[in-house]
Amino acid sequence: MIEVTNLRKTFYVHKKAPGLRASFRSLFHREKTAKHAVKGATFRVEEGEILGLIGANGAGKTTLVKMLSGIIHPTSGDARVLGHVPWERSNELRRQVALIMGQKAQLWWDLPAADCFLLLRDIYQLPEQEYRTSLDKLSSMLGVKDVLNVQIRRLSLGERMKMELIAALLHSPRVLYLDEPTIGLDLTAQKAVRDFILEYRSQRAPAMILTSHYMEDIERLCKRIIIIREGEIVYDGGLRTVVEQYATEKTVTAHLKKNGELAVAKPEVARLGTVAECNAVCVKLRVPRDRVAEAAQALLHHYEVADITIEEPEIGQIIEQIMTARGGSDAGGPGAPESLGAPSIAGSSAENEEEGS
Amino acid sequence: MSLRLFRRLVFLEASKLMSYRGDFWITAVANLLATTVVHWFLMRAIFDTTGAETLGGYTLPEIMTYFIGVNLIGRVVRGADLQMGIASEIYDGGLSRYLLYPTRYLPFKYAQHLGAIIPEIIQMFLFAGILIAILGLPEESGVTWVSIAMTLPTLVIANLLYFLLSTPIQFTSFWADNVWSLGVLLRFTSLLLGGAMLPLTWFPESAMHALRYLPFVACCEFPVRVATGEVTTLGEYSLGLTVGLAWCGVLGLACLPIWRKGQLGYTGVGI
Repeated sequence: MIEVTNLRKTFYVHKKAPGLRASFRSLFHREKTAKHAVKGATFRVEEGEILGLIGANGAGKTTLVKMLSGIIHPTSGDARVLGHVPWERSNELRRQVALIMGQKAQLWWDLPAADCFLLLRDIYQLPEQEYRTSLDKLSSMLGVKDVLNVQIRRLSLGERMKMELIAALLHSPRVLYLDEPTIGLDLTAQKAVRDFILEYRSQRAPAMILTSHYMEDIERLCKRIIIIREGEIVYDGGLRTVVEQYATEKTVTAHLKKNGELAVAKPEVARLGTVAECNAVCVKLRVPRDRVAEAAQALLHHYEVADITIEEPEIGQIIEQIMTARGGSDAGGPGAPESLGAPSIAGSSAENEEEGS
Repeated sequence: MSLRLFRRLVFLEASKLMSYRGDFWITAVANLLATTVVHWFLMRAIFDTTGAETLGGYTLPEIMTYFIGVNLIGRVVRGADLQMGIASEIYDGGLSRYLLYPTRYLPFKYAQHLGAIIPEIIQMFLFAGILIAILGLPEESGVTWVSIAMTLPTLVIANLLYFLLSTPIQFTSFWADNVWSLGVLLRFTSLLLGGAMLPLTWFPESAMHALRYLPFVACCEFPVRVATGEVTTLGEYSLGLTVGLAWCGVLGLACLPIWRKGQLGYTGVGI
């Protein structure tokens, strides 16, 4: 449904030093710098799939979404959404696409939501019956039926976001871009939005691209993610696969029987990996995946163990390290985090394993 | 754009503006009072100082009728021009949502522009009615039902023309971030050259003749002269309408390439 090939976007921005003198000078001369916001993105999104687009602020996520929704033109590259070039903005495509921007209200601030929806009915030329059914269903699912006649500006942030969701989905889009849909919402509202998105997907199976800084959004909604760093896609694959690919170590923790003695890191154990913690309560080892069983056996053999646990690193932690890592070589993938023992991710794009698609 | 959508946009915009009734009444009264009082004292001083009976063919009551007409009609023509809605949307990224809708941006904005003048039209009829009831029309005034009916087409053209005049200027926001000063410049120019600050008969003959072929007169002076019965021949009436329509065509055509070029560089900031 969405096909992106080598898409690039470069912005030219003015550089201006701080201060009055610099402001005066900039009246006559301005230095422009090129900012490569997206550097050759290539991927596909299939029907019913929710693709998580993850990256630090300024990584290029929103620029990518803006190009795919047709708001801005790319510098080069190609994209097809439902067979159309998005930035040509054919009405046929625009009737099947929606974009929800968590940071930017799209509804009319001074109007009640009901008026906004009527306007959208006319914009999308929805048949009356279809509109009524759709609005009734969406407002019931989100629990906002009783505030439909309240001005948008008088609604709470959570209610406003729910109205934005309704507005975006009234015309039953086949492609949906969700740009930080839960930003600023409390935990209950976040959960409601997430549940709603899943419900909507199960009913309509649209292709969705979700950007979010909340790991819970990603973990709950996406089986496949793209990690974008400084405009480049550095990972494209299953959410769970990222752990296997990047986290080559696991943490084995032996919880010791309480005898009051301080445990000592014995060389037989220490040689198996890195000792992260060693005290009267526990011995914690970070070991390569293929040595987990051996490490567990060694711990059981050398200490008085009450319990033992084997843990994967948290996904959020792994992704954060991939996002924030800088530099890197081709062999190890662009900026692959060494501390996680990352393998090569060369060629990790659309061809990668797509666990969730 | 469907007629149904166009109508809904007009009414929504109007109801939105009229939902703030404090602003509605304050703007209405303050604007009319301030401009009428200023014009009264200014014209009174000029007539007293010069000792003339008429200036540029206008007596004092006639010039006051002219300025009140210019004020009421001018607001209907210009609407909320100083808000520079299109420029603001390009500047703050508000344009993005319109790019997503399966509809054309300029007709959408024009419908909103029309909606924004409905409160002004209500105010125009209200105050014109009050003023006529209190002061009556000057004896020499040529306002008749026929002149009012003839004014309506000129107002429609004037409104569209002013919108099309300001649109290319607002599109410069695609390249320059702050263009509000251009909006102020347009208003000042259109007020001066359109005869809202001074009647065109006060200009030199050659300038007056040239101004008749510029778009500004069709936006302001021409509808007022039609309303006050000063346009007496069909030839003059047709020429005024034709000039207005011709400029609408030229500016409408000029908008398209600017829009196409401008939105290529649109960055959708703010999201």
